[in-house]
Amino acid sequence: MNLSRTRYSLAPWARIAGLAVCALLTLGPVIWTISTSLRTPAESFDLPPKIIPTDPTMESYRGVFDQIDVWLLALNSTLVTALIAVGQMITAGLAGYAFARLEFRFKKPLFGLVLATMMVPLQVTIVPVFLVLKSMGLTDTLLGLIIPAFPTAFGTFLMRQYFLGMPKDLGEAAMLDGCGPWRIFRSVYAPLAAPGLAIVGVLAFNYHWNEFFRPLILETSGQNYTLPLGLVSLQGNLGTGSISVVLAGVVLSMIPAVVVFVVGQRPLREGITSAGVNR
Amino acid sequence: MTNTQIPAVRLKQPAAPPAAPPRPSARDRGTRLLATLFLAPTIVGIVVFTVVPIAGSVVLSLFHWNVIDDPSFAGAANYGEVFGDSTVLVSFRNTLVFMVFAVALQLLIALALALAVNGRMPVWLRSVFRSAFFFPLVLSAASISVVMKYLFNQDFGMVNWLLGLVGIAPVPWLTSENAAMATVILVYVWQQFGFSFLLFVGGLNNIPKEIHEAASLDGATGLRKHLNITLPLLSPTLLVASVVGIINALQVFEQPYVLTNGGPGDATRTVVMVIYESAFEQLRFGEASAVGVLLFVLIMAVTALQFRLSRRFVHYQ
Amino acid sequence: MTDSHLTRRTLLRYGAYGAGAAALAGTAASWDRLTGADIPGRDDGSLVVATLGPAYGPEAIRTLTEGFKQVHPDIKLRINAVQAVDWSDFFAKILTQIAAGTAPDLVYVATEGVQLFAQRLGVPLDRWVKRDAEELREYFADVHPSLVESMMYEGSLYQLPVEFNAADMYLNTQVLKRAGADFPAADWTRDDFTALLRDMKQSSGSQFTPYFWTNRLWGGVVPWLFANDTNLLTESKAPGGTWLWDSFYPADRRQGRGGGFRWTTPQATDARVEEAYDYLASLIQEGLCTRPEGGNGQNLIGVFSTGRVGVTPAGGFWAGGLHLAGMKADGFDVQYFPRWRSQRMQYGAAGYALLRTSKKQEEAWEFIKYAARRDTLTRLFTTNQTTPARRSMLTADRYRESGPAHWQVFYDTLDKFPDTGPIPAPPQVAEVEQVLLKHTGTALASRRAVAPALRRMQSDLEKAMERDV
Repeated sequence: MNLSRTRYSLAPWARIAGLAVCALLTLGPVIWTISTSLRTPAESFDLPPKIIPTDPTMESYRGVFDQIDVWLLALNSTLVTALIAVGQMITAGLAGYAFARLEFRFKKPLFGLVLATMMVPLQVTIVPVFLVLKSMGLTDTLLGLIIPAFPTAFGTFLMRQYFLGMPKDLGEAAMLDGCGPWRIFRSVYAPLAAPGLAIVGVLAFNYHWNEFFRPLILETSGQNYTLPLGLVSLQGNLGTGSISVVLAGVVLSMIPAVVVFVVGQRPLREGITSAGVNR
Repeated sequence: MTNTQIPAVRLKQPAAPPAAPPRPSARDRGTRLLATLFLAPTIVGIVVFTVVPIAGSVVLSLFHWNVIDDPSFAGAANYGEVFGDSTVLVSFRNTLVFMVFAVALQLLIALALALAVNGRMPVWLRSVFRSAFFFPLVLSAASISVVMKYLFNQDFGMVNWLLGLVGIAPVPWLTSENAAMATVILVYVWQQFGFSFLLFVGGLNNIPKEIHEAASLDGATGLRKHLNITLPLLSPTLLVASVVGIINALQVFEQPYVLTNGGPGDATRTVVMVIYESAFEQLRFGEASAVGVLLFVLIMAVTALQFRLSRRFVHYQ
Repeated sequence: MTDSHLTRRTLLRYGAYGAGAAALAGTAASWDRLTGADIPGRDDGSLVVATLGPAYGPEAIRTLTEGFKQVHPDIKLRINAVQAVDWSDFFAKILTQIAAGTAPDLVYVATEGVQLFAQRLGVPLDRWVKRDAEELREYFADVHPSLVESMMYEGSLYQLPVEFNAADMYLNTQVLKRAGADFPAADWTRDDFTALLRDMKQSSGSQFTPYFWTNRLWGGVVPWLFANDTNLLTESKAPGGTWLWDSFYPADRRQGRGGGFRWTTPQATDARVEEAYDYLASLIQEGLCTRPEGGNGQNLIGVFSTGRVGVTPAGGFWAGGLHLAGMKADGFDVQYFPRWRSQRMQYGAAGYALLRTSKKQEEAWEFIKYAARRDTLTRLFTTNQTTPARRSMLTADRYRESGPAHWQVFYDTLDKFPDTGPIPAPPQVAEVEQVLLKHTGTALASRRAVAPALRRMQSDLEKAMERDV
């Protein structure tokens, strides 16, 4: 007993030092990526690596812009991710509210159905999805990437938790005032949902900005490629691309995701948190 | 407030008959109409882009189809092929091994770090740590695997160079059957633990301070306090973290695809890789669909099992 | 309190309206982008050509399109650079398009896919080649018959090769100098090669491995099998093809040519195959060679150009790659693959295949001819990112800036070793390749692992070859 108490009181600085080591391990590969993208290809394999390049060069970044149409790729990626994010906020907000605060038949099986979609690997359904999109005339369009991504199991789950977390009395009070279900949603709960929706948006952005497999299979015209797909070009014919340029591409594509992460960090943290909490 | 346990617990239970009110009032009708409207986008989307495709996959799994010729009916032949194919069987074993270790490691690291971050420290420092641990999650799995492939290269990678500094001989991280799976798991966990970490941080924040204080008064300290008090209180969060973790781990694709391409041998070939290879590289869409259907069944079964077990181990406040 | 609550709520509401309006406006403004309606040549009856993305940047596509427009202003052309990491990825995507009924007219196909496309999807070019024989005489005179033969299947020609890459040995001159070794002679043997690796190893530090290679069909184990005078699958030649040889090649050059290669019976347990694996396993054990890593060889350029590797097999495409990576022209050089039982070498070639489903076959043929023209290829291959199939394009001028000094090796691999052949790529290639890569990984874990792994490879290959693609 005594021993463990001693250990516990020793903890603070040891604990913080341990955390610092872990943080370094976590960020290490990212730091290496950034620093290598700033070095010349010839230096990229130097060991010990020069973490601070002695002679930083933006050459690799120029290479990225020379080799691929970054602006078009970024425009496509932005359109796709932004519209998916907005779409998921709408579908998840509405469905989450229905599951949390409305009573209707088949509520549980329907909710089960929504959650079960999380368990379906993309690779299993991609061919039939392709055929469905074809029948809609949406293959090789950005819309073909966007529309199927509107329903979101995790987003719906999050929003349900979020609405459940709001005091029930608010709605009951409004009901006593004679408000109908729509008024209760619109005037009482919906205005409180903004932070929850922000989480859904940030998560959607995060996931779909980096998405590779669906665009790979669904988009065939170069003009419809998204950034992750375009970056493949940097690897060069038979892998002859320069590693620095490849990594510069990785860093460039990282920037928007990081910005969204920084801006959305707080709601994201709170949102993910709420998903795991039992109220 | 018990109506909001982790929802999917009820997934496997028969749907409770709707509590039909004796006289449907205007309000109820309004509610139902609203529910229908609110659910329509999600449910229609799921039906068109998931349910119908799954049905399509099941149908496809009963046919031989190579894209070029018309499909021909095969009955259960594809399933027979699959069960006789050692690569497929190995891939299921690999995927399960991967799942067990990746999820366990991910939860352990996340939990340890969450407890550590929850301790006393300056606010700014805590937020630095939280951001750092979450950061890998915003990166693309494919890109980061390319980076990791460089770092883990046996002859020229930085990891072996660092180990060399402390006198450890070069490890064939990606090219030996034993190490390759461990490396894939490491890279996966590195990217994914942030998610569980955040869940745990949130879960810990929600445990009332009084409980800890009371426990301390009773003389519980350190590890014992965590084991006996924190962990049970955190169990609902653990359940969500492990459910999401397992569902994701069973679908792992990018990391082994980029890092090892399934090798050496079949050492890191996962089920989803087999689906991709047999469908898109070998044009055996029927067999690929059969494997897909089996994987789907496996995921459902594992998830159901988890919830069944959770009834015994998860404590709700 | 109520006031601030209200304002915040109002703000939120207007914020939401604003965001909604912006989203709507953005969607409306970019509608053409979202539906792909702004892509020129889409659904307007253009001739659609699918090429491998990483090999064809925006610049190359512009060059090809504009050049074609000048020759054939009446044919609308759309070039679609399909993004893929390697050939099997690329074929996967093309097949998905075919499944969806949106097949291109022409597909850029490498040796890996020649027979798969020829057997299931392609149209033989024979009748057009015969019709336009006069026009093509100059082309065939400039292209080695072996390359042409590799594009034939069962007596018919399916593609006009425009580029190829043979597996030659690249050597880092710095590392050679460090080891005090001379540049190897053209007829160097496998033992010379081993001795050179040992010298390199001795003269270098710990962060160095003399021989590096990537585990893939092209340039992996297969060149060693060729050098040891064997192959993964038994190789024979289909009858036929005389219609082509007789009209385009003089007697001495058409000798022994047939109607294309046939790769049939797996022979992974053949003694010579085992010998080749055994040799590689011994190199690994001695620390002279890296364990084979899966993937597309991306690590390679970096480690070679910085002198962490001394020797590696690569083709003409590497001259451009090393130049891009900042390597000086005299920093490296190239020699033939070393001789063992034979000095037969291995290559892969590529050209455009015409799909059966195409409704613009005449136009497509015009494009095939255009793409094989000397001026087209000269404009396209400016950076030595590959070896042109036309001998006349390999000039001292072309390699002056990038190197290597022995650039003649690239084409002489064909000219001086007329039995040099394509990588084995039957229609079942995807599975054959997977089986090869998979068991090569385990076979080279140790010398003891070779035999059992090859036995498993043999039985998997047999299964793969039985399958009707």
